[in-house]
Amino acid sequence: MAEPLRLTAKSASPGIASGPAFLAEEPKAPSAAERPDAPAPSTVGGFGVLETAIDISIGELERLAEGADAESRDIIDFQIEVLRDPTIAEATGARMEADENVVFAWVATLDAYIGELEAADEEQMRARAVDILDIKNRVLGALAGTPIADFPPGSVFVGKDMEPSRFLAHDWSKGGGIALFAGSTAGHVALLARAKSVPMVVGTGRFSAADGDPVSVDGDAGAVVLKAGGMLIPSLVPARTSATNTQAESGELRTADGVAIQLSININDPAEIDALDPATAGVGLMRSEFSVASLADAANEERQLAIYRRVLEQAGNRPVIIRMLDIGGDKPLAGLEDLPGLSASGLRGIRLLLARPEIARVQARALLRATVFGRLSVMLPMVTFPDEIDRMRDLFREEAEKLGRRALLHRMPPIGMMVEVPSAALMLDTFGSAAFFSFGTNDLTQYLAATARDDIEADTGKAAPAVVRLIAQAVKLTAGKPISICGDMAGDPRYLPGLLAAGLRHFSVAPVRRPAIRSAIIGLNADGTRAAGE
Amino acid sequence: MTTGLRREKQEPEPLPEPFKVNCQTEVEVKHGVGLHARPSVTFTRLAKSFPCSIEIAVNGSDVWLNGKSIIKIMGAKIRKGSILRIRADGILAEEAIRALKELIERNFDEEKKHGRTA
Repeated sequence: MAEPLRLTAKSASPGIASGPAFLAEEPKAPSAAERPDAPAPSTVGGFGVLETAIDISIGELERLAEGADAESRDIIDFQIEVLRDPTIAEATGARMEADENVVFAWVATLDAYIGELEAADEEQMRARAVDILDIKNRVLGALAGTPIADFPPGSVFVGKDMEPSRFLAHDWSKGGGIALFAGSTAGHVALLARAKSVPMVVGTGRFSAADGDPVSVDGDAGAVVLKAGGMLIPSLVPARTSATNTQAESGELRTADGVAIQLSININDPAEIDALDPATAGVGLMRSEFSVASLADAANEERQLAIYRRVLEQAGNRPVIIRMLDIGGDKPLAGLEDLPGLSASGLRGIRLLLARPEIARVQARALLRATVFGRLSVMLPMVTFPDEIDRMRDLFREEAEKLGRRALLHRMPPIGMMVEVPSAALMLDTFGSAAFFSFGTNDLTQYLAATARDDIEADTGKAAPAVVRLIAQAVKLTAGKPISICGDMAGDPRYLPGLLAAGLRHFSVAPVRRPAIRSAIIGLNADGTRAAGE
Repeated sequence: MTTGLRREKQEPEPLPEPFKVNCQTEVEVKHGVGLHARPSVTFTRLAKSFPCSIEIAVNGSDVWLNGKSIIKIMGAKIRKGSILRIRADGILAEEAIRALKELIERNFDEEKKHGRTA
């Protein structure tokens, strides 16, 4: 099929290796269900848990060092020494005294060092940034109870950079090589690769490849060959907002009288993206809180990026809306319950994100970086007032600027909002800064009808006329911006006539509800009336 | 973990003069690649083996860095020809200064370690 593609690169370690590609940024984040023996994340309790995680990490590194050669031993010693650095402990402690959660204090402290190193003049110094990243993630892994994942022996590691501990934990006796988009010939991994005669090239630029694609690394000539073809991804992708592109391009779903309807899916887990068949317009709602099992995950930018990237790559050119963490209230996050002033208040959704910006900043960075991999839009949960969107957009801009200074690829996504608070639905014309709207009918019903969360199923039917009327009024206030509905009501054919009549043309439903909704739409006119002959 | 900070605030234990001292020295770095990962590890490990506080300043700078912190030492841009001032305060300060100075003069024992370059 495709012609092999040869990309020139810088040789970091001589020799030639071929093997199936292993893409480093594919998610290695098993969901909580997949790691039942993992200890319950206990990220509350202050410095003690961090000290324990650091001790576990030092223990892991010491085990890694057993029987290692001198080069490996040196690098492990270096990482251990960083873990025992008194100034890191002091800086983390100071942040905690300023009321930061222990996990985020750790991340912020290490990120500051990574930023300093990445901005250094000398390559020798810049090459140390990945060591600190390695250490940061190892400790986060220890906090969450997940070790750093290995990859299949004999494969060619493909990624932006490689963590030394990943090199050290891997079995290189079956061959394989390393091709890095960025990386450095002065980095610790390059040093290790030369010592272990693992062919390695750096600075290839970002290229497209799939997991398992045959790849060959030519560490002698300084090249990487993608045998199945591929392409170099330019570092500046022209800006394109998904807001301009929400008309039905795929799916070809129409009402009986020929009006195009978009049908998207709601997903909770990246694995559910497999349900995205060609007739589906895209992902209308990805609930990011389901990919984040603990506060340690919420602090892990790389893990979130890997998950979002996987979803976007699978979605291809179809739009994906990822909702920022909707936690708080009845959706707790392990480790967050002890945050001061959280439990008693109605702090959830965007309010919680703005009150705990350290959580939002990590996710904003992951989303900004993920935006280059597809048509991503970001949706804010539980928005009540317009300034909440402005403040979150400011936060995105600040993080974008920081990423720019670190030369990390990113792009600003369109930022829209869930319409699930009645006052916001009534005042939707004042939300000029939202790029799009999506109705969340579960919360809208609950707050509109003063229903207890447990009774919502029983009350939904009775409250539905009021909810549909509110939606119909709100649709008129959206000034032509993209509107969709992603709540449970969208997946129930009984409500479809009312929602069509209200003017909705984009429905996002759980994958299992799709067939029922699709066939119901075909039998209805766009005004919600039953088609003749039905 | 903040014991390093708090120690200064505590009442110092009364100690006989020879043990409780404030010491300073100056030494030129002759190592070819300055103070990168491995020499930094050797330096901070030795520094941490002494109970006194240890600080360094590079090339006449009046910014004193924690000599037990690998992050600070590595970030200090120490190169061949850099003049390092080392000061120590507290128990075994004199011994610490002497040992660290000797380590630098021995080129961080790099030759002993398989004769590799960093």
